[in-house]
Amino acid sequence: MKRYILLAVALVSVAVYLFPLYWMYVTALKSGTEIFQYPPTFWPPHPQWNFRQVFLQHSMASYLWNSLVIAVGVTAITVVIGTGAAYSLARIRNRWTSVALFTVLMLQVLPSSLMVTPLFVAFNQMGLLATPRLAVTLAQAAKVLTLYIVICRSTFLQVPRELEEAALVDGNSRIGAFFRIIVPLARNGILVTSVLIFLQSFGEFVYSRSLISEKSLQTATVGLSEFVGPQINDWNGIMTYSAIYITPILIVFVLLQRRIVSGLTAGALK
Amino acid sequence: MTAFFRTFREGSGFDAVLILCAVAYLLVFSAFPLVYNVIMSFQSVDMFSITDFNRPWVGWQNYIDVINRPEAWLIVKNTAIFVLLSIVFQLGLGFGLALLFQQDFPAATFLRGLFLAGWIMPGLVVGTVWKWIFAGDFGVLNYVLNHLGIVTGKIFWLSDPAYSLYAVIIANIWLGIPFNMILLSVGLAAIPRDIYEAAELDGATAFQRFFSMTLPMMRATLGAVVSLGVILTLQQFDLIAGLTKGGPANSSNVAQYWSWQLSFETYEISAGSVIAVMMIAVVIVVATIYVRSTTNEQSA
Repeated sequence: MKRYILLAVALVSVAVYLFPLYWMYVTALKSGTEIFQYPPTFWPPHPQWNFRQVFLQHSMASYLWNSLVIAVGVTAITVVIGTGAAYSLARIRNRWTSVALFTVLMLQVLPSSLMVTPLFVAFNQMGLLATPRLAVTLAQAAKVLTLYIVICRSTFLQVPRELEEAALVDGNSRIGAFFRIIVPLARNGILVTSVLIFLQSFGEFVYSRSLISEKSLQTATVGLSEFVGPQINDWNGIMTYSAIYITPILIVFVLLQRRIVSGLTAGALK
Repeated sequence: MTAFFRTFREGSGFDAVLILCAVAYLLVFSAFPLVYNVIMSFQSVDMFSITDFNRPWVGWQNYIDVINRPEAWLIVKNTAIFVLLSIVFQLGLGFGLALLFQQDFPAATFLRGLFLAGWIMPGLVVGTVWKWIFAGDFGVLNYVLNHLGIVTGKIFWLSDPAYSLYAVIIANIWLGIPFNMILLSVGLAAIPRDIYEAAELDGATAFQRFFSMTLPMMRATLGAVVSLGVILTLQQFDLIAGLTKGGPANSSNVAQYWSWQLSFETYEISAGSVIAVMMIAVVIVVATIYVRSTTNEQSA
């Protein structure tokens, strides 16, 4: 009996917590007049399917493409630079690696909204703002690289050292052992962390908003913030936009949920 | 010369190269902007001198100007309230949920996982959805509150200066709950079961077990979660941009958003970097506490 009371309490708290998500989808399905009914309807009597229209009217293809380009670029830079560093920081314990690890942990906490001022001025002087998507990619990669190293390092800590030593005895070079033994064994952790980095960069806002001025190069978050102007009444359109944008994110997350959770907790507390 | 290349193939040179690549990237794109920020906070930087390398040095004048601005103390107060209330409620609700999902009932792990859906969403989208929930005339929150008899009449959550900061805080608590809950669940799972059984046999009540066993054993985790919560709350920007943009009349403005507004809306770049320097100093102090508490936990 106690178990079912607990289950009921848990179900109610999940329902209350996820209500904003539900409300987004329901509003997206309502018509322009129905959203201004008071009291509001909790289930649309006449669902409207205007996803296609909102997608085309607000040039979402271009916005989503730019977000995708930036997220792919950030993930590529992070994986290439971060994987090796995470591995070495997991393997070697001495004064230098402690300093390097401390530096990584400290740089992890710098808020983007505070780092964007010097980045904007420096990128402007370096001429990087002529290629604004590259500028955002470089800045965002520096932001997430630290998180990637911290989480991946905890994955590499779990790979038994003996396997690597055996590979070296068998005549592999360090590089050979790294690519043939270590990386395949840590594959899961690397994959999940990359997905996490990718999703975060796909929803990036501060750098895109501040470093990109041309509309055709803007990302989906900036497109959404421009849609929500000072005088807004197209709430069903805005919620449709949001639904199109985040549904793929939610699907990826639900598929990988368990692994993302275990990776994250290992990184934050160890 | 071959010996030189050999260390990269066989020895410590390989590790050094791997670590140095990452450190070099972080030095260029994180540490250098950090230092540059400090330099700019002592210079006069605006739209005209932005591309110059040789800008007039004004020393502490920028700091004095920023502190003497009329809105400065309001924003400092808002930031303090924002962080304090966010942490208290995220931690309280997160701990409650962690304890709930720690119990044995059907589908506990699956249901706990559903909470994380809120956490992976882009902050700007979360802000936008909440903006619609908070809407004064047609918002669903006002309807629910009226229906339950908690308030009568409509609260203009986002346009009334008395409520705007609390609207932002409520949305931020919503965002922070899953993260707190998951980290606290990990801490709870690490406490051995059998000591609870022993205490129960000795006649300890559930309250006694919680306050004299669970809480003390969770001390290190709680320390890490609180400091991480402060760091994440001070990083919060997208949510504010989606909800109130700091308004009306700075009533919901916080320091990290103010810094950005000065740099990118009014182009007072030196003022923006002054606030950034001061806030980064705060974040680094909290981060030191966090790093120390996690490394202590590891060695314990």
